[in-house]
Amino acid sequence: MLDNILTILIFFPALAAMLGFVVEKGSIRAFGVSVATVEFVLSLALWYAYDPSVVGMQFMESMPLIPAFGINYLLGIDAISLFIIVLATFITLIGIATLGEVKNIKNMIITLLFLEMTMIGVFSALDAIVFYVFWELSLVPMLYLIGAWGGPKRIYASIKFFLYTFTGSLIMLVGMLFMAYFYYQATGAWSFSILEWYRLVLPENLQLWLFVAFFMGFAIKVPMFPFHTWLPYAHGQAPTIGSVILAAILLKMGTYAFVRFSLPMFPDAAVFFMIPIAIIAIIMIIYTAMVAYAQEDIKQVVAYSSVSHMGVIILGTFALNVEGITGSVFLMIAHGVVSGALFFLVGVIYDRRHTKMMSEFGGLAHVMPRYATIFGVMMMASVGLPLTINFIGEFLSLLGFYKQSHILTLLAGTAIIVGAIYMLTAYKKAFFGEVTNEKNKNLPDVNKREMFALIPLVIITIWLGIYPKPVLEPINNSVEAIVSLMNEKAITQEAKNRIPDPMAAKVSTPHGGTH
Amino acid sequence: MLEPVNISIQSLNLVTLAPMLIAIVGALSIIVIDLVKGGLDKSLYVMLTVLFLFLDLGAIFNFIETVSANGTLLGFFDVILIDGLAILSQLIIVGASIIFIPLSLTSKRFHEYNYPEYYALFLFMIAGFQFMVASDNLILIFVGLETASLALYALIAMHNREKSFEAAVKYFTMGALAAGFYSFSSMVFYALTGSIEINQIAAVLAADGYANIGYVLVAVIFMLASLGFKLSLVPFHTWTPDVYEGSSAALAGYMSIVPKIAAFVVAMRLFEFLIHSGVVWLEIVLYAAVVLTMTAANIWALVQKDVKRMLAYSSISHAGFAMAAILIGTTQSNSALFLYWILFVFTNLGAFTMLWVSRQKTLLPGQSSDHPYEKFAGMVKTMPLAATMMALFMLSLAGIPPFGIFWGKLYLIGSAVSAEYPMLALIMALNSAIAGYYYLKLIIYMFMKEPIDNASSSSYMLNASLPLKTIIGLAALATIFSVAMVNPLMEFITAMVYNSGY
Repeated sequence: MLDNILTILIFFPALAAMLGFVVEKGSIRAFGVSVATVEFVLSLALWYAYDPSVVGMQFMESMPLIPAFGINYLLGIDAISLFIIVLATFITLIGIATLGEVKNIKNMIITLLFLEMTMIGVFSALDAIVFYVFWELSLVPMLYLIGAWGGPKRIYASIKFFLYTFTGSLIMLVGMLFMAYFYYQATGAWSFSILEWYRLVLPENLQLWLFVAFFMGFAIKVPMFPFHTWLPYAHGQAPTIGSVILAAILLKMGTYAFVRFSLPMFPDAAVFFMIPIAIIAIIMIIYTAMVAYAQEDIKQVVAYSSVSHMGVIILGTFALNVEGITGSVFLMIAHGVVSGALFFLVGVIYDRRHTKMMSEFGGLAHVMPRYATIFGVMMMASVGLPLTINFIGEFLSLLGFYKQSHILTLLAGTAIIVGAIYMLTAYKKAFFGEVTNEKNKNLPDVNKREMFALIPLVIITIWLGIYPKPVLEPINNSVEAIVSLMNEKAITQEAKNRIPDPMAAKVSTPHGGTH
Repeated sequence: MLEPVNISIQSLNLVTLAPMLIAIVGALSIIVIDLVKGGLDKSLYVMLTVLFLFLDLGAIFNFIETVSANGTLLGFFDVILIDGLAILSQLIIVGASIIFIPLSLTSKRFHEYNYPEYYALFLFMIAGFQFMVASDNLILIFVGLETASLALYALIAMHNREKSFEAAVKYFTMGALAAGFYSFSSMVFYALTGSIEINQIAAVLAADGYANIGYVLVAVIFMLASLGFKLSLVPFHTWTPDVYEGSSAALAGYMSIVPKIAAFVVAMRLFEFLIHSGVVWLEIVLYAAVVLTMTAANIWALVQKDVKRMLAYSSISHAGFAMAAILIGTTQSNSALFLYWILFVFTNLGAFTMLWVSRQKTLLPGQSSDHPYEKFAGMVKTMPLAATMMALFMLSLAGIPPFGIFWGKLYLIGSAVSAEYPMLALIMALNSAIAGYYYLKLIIYMFMKEPIDNASSSSYMLNASLPLKTIIGLAALATIFSVAMVNPLMEFITAMVYNSGY
């Protein structure tokens, strides 16, 4: 069974979603929770069966789809995708389990299950076209989530979300076709297999063009400055569950794709664009932090802070060394947990008051102590307090980039610290002081259902903050494989210098010990 | 004294005429049946038409083996040319007709379907298109084109509404202009080369090294204009939205597919040797037409208020896409054109049938056209399944994987990439992004807006009958599971196109 576990993981929720049409409306919630639980257990089984000592892809599956054009149904995962898949099934589970009272709940659960299929598909595809299919398909359920259950400007927000990402990914598609064509020129056969593309060494000028084409698709998805404008709209209008999944998983598609495609396929271009991208990333960190500070809507604060942290992930990815990339992959997981939790928390207060304006709140700590505590923990994690999950990721990302440029890292580090101000200010405005608003006097505290979602997130935040090894080590191994591939493939001397070979470092360490 | 003309029946190779003859015999027998006993039900005529078309299909299948072995088959004083292109396009023409004609089995009565002449004209039209694609003789192509077009004008007008007459007259006038252009261009080609066979023209022009380049330019421009009318290339597209709006949705869907594939084959035969002639401006003219058609049609489609007009502009844009394949002119791109068009048949069939089943006899109050966007508002609440189907066809038209047209687009853009047309590939990709917006608009109306007050759940399915629902289901299945048929189709198409030397 484990031979086909990835196919099962992808299509089980889709099948369940189709059967869900038959399930009676009152029972659909139980149906959704059971399906999501089975899916989560399956993903845990995947983690259990995953062998961290093996370098390269595991659980590979292959089936010809359009052999005449080199398209195969090719799946496989390494540690980088493994943990994002586990995160995706986990967030979907608690998302469905804690759905509040929404209209048309049946349609929503069916949509969420379809969305789960596309997410797992993206992270386990090893064929570019299969990847692209799931990548594009994920837009449709998300469009429906925002457009049907969103706020007053939901239609504008959903179209903006769709068109931005759609445009970017079409440019990426042209890039993929060129890549396949260059592969055809080199070998005489069409192929869209990412693993075969890894073996293709391209001249630097082609790398630059292709890097830009892929970059358009990924950067809009992340979203990187200046393509980030769709995200605050989408978050602002989306229902809680939509924001949670968008922030926790969908945005990771972009950063994941950088690690999976851009770095190993175009190492020289990655070095060439390293500094410009790092500058964009730092602008992202500083600028969005400043915008977040000016927001009056608490959800927008969380949304902008989420963009700000995506900047750190990008910075870590483009450190191009093992520490940086490992840190950024770990930070993807951490960001998924923490910003997912923050959006849940905003949803909790929105369910009670139907407003997200900070001016409406104040002194909530008196009325809702448990809520204030959990919010506090998550906020601390978000600003990167040591012993929380975010700290490890941010620290490693910055450490990795420190080896490339001291000044830029210093700037980014300062920005992160300064960025803490807006979170703390927001927290102070909402939770401390006197209860000024009459309506807030009798708000009920977090209930059991919400606890079910939040407690596991808090546990993960602190557990992985103190003991990250079970996740960090497998990621580290997979990242080493990618970095050594990059080092091997790099053509220019500068790229060779910028991308240190992790294997060489390993070999030389015992020598260093003997001296 | 003239020699007596001796022709053996053998050398005429009459079997090459079989497919067209079957369609013509079918049309005649429908008229005869009406003479013998009038007042028969339309279902009889529809089924007879379908049967004759199946015979037609069988006759075409007959050629596949000979053509794969020998390349081409000539017949009837060598004016009929059966090659891979002819087979492929006839399969599309007849196949699409088989699934389109049952659309007349509506539950509401539309008066044109009670005339047996409707079906006779329909079959004559098919015979015309078949002549058009199965020849490289400019005169026979012209005869086929005009036979088909004249039948089509009548079919449009038979819908018997004011807008249909307007549409038919408009189409007729434009068609007459196109016919004039066509004959003028053929005349110039004949004057230049002394031949009306396309391969002869190509050989003579190549032999004298395109010495009279000015005259060739004139001929090409007129030919492009004439085919441009039929293919609705910008700026010869102006009739398209009005004609689609005036005809019934079923016929509009048909017009967006069958006449165009016939014209594409003629364009492929004519322009392919010109593009490979190495004369740069020929390529520039085509390049401009392609880019203009894709982009301008997309931008006009953005501002349409009626779904049928939007689909009209969208089909113009899709025609531009397919025309790009002719511009690229490699075996891969020509195969991509056929693949694209086959996938387009199913999706467009589904989309137009959805409009057709929701057609009401009289306009709703406050509406100026049959299918305004507002009509579909909140459809998911009243008819979830129908709304999902419609959304599926829109997603496929927008090129969202894994639905039908995506694979066509993928292969077509792939052929642009491998023929070293990076800018064209990029323009095609960006145009798909623009197109995403107007298809999305309908989805947004259906899924995210509240239903209008006076729409009862039945108003979307007024016209539906079992055959129509079956056709929608068929189109949806073909659209969803298209990935399974892409590979076998691709192999067959590539073999056929390669065999014909394109």
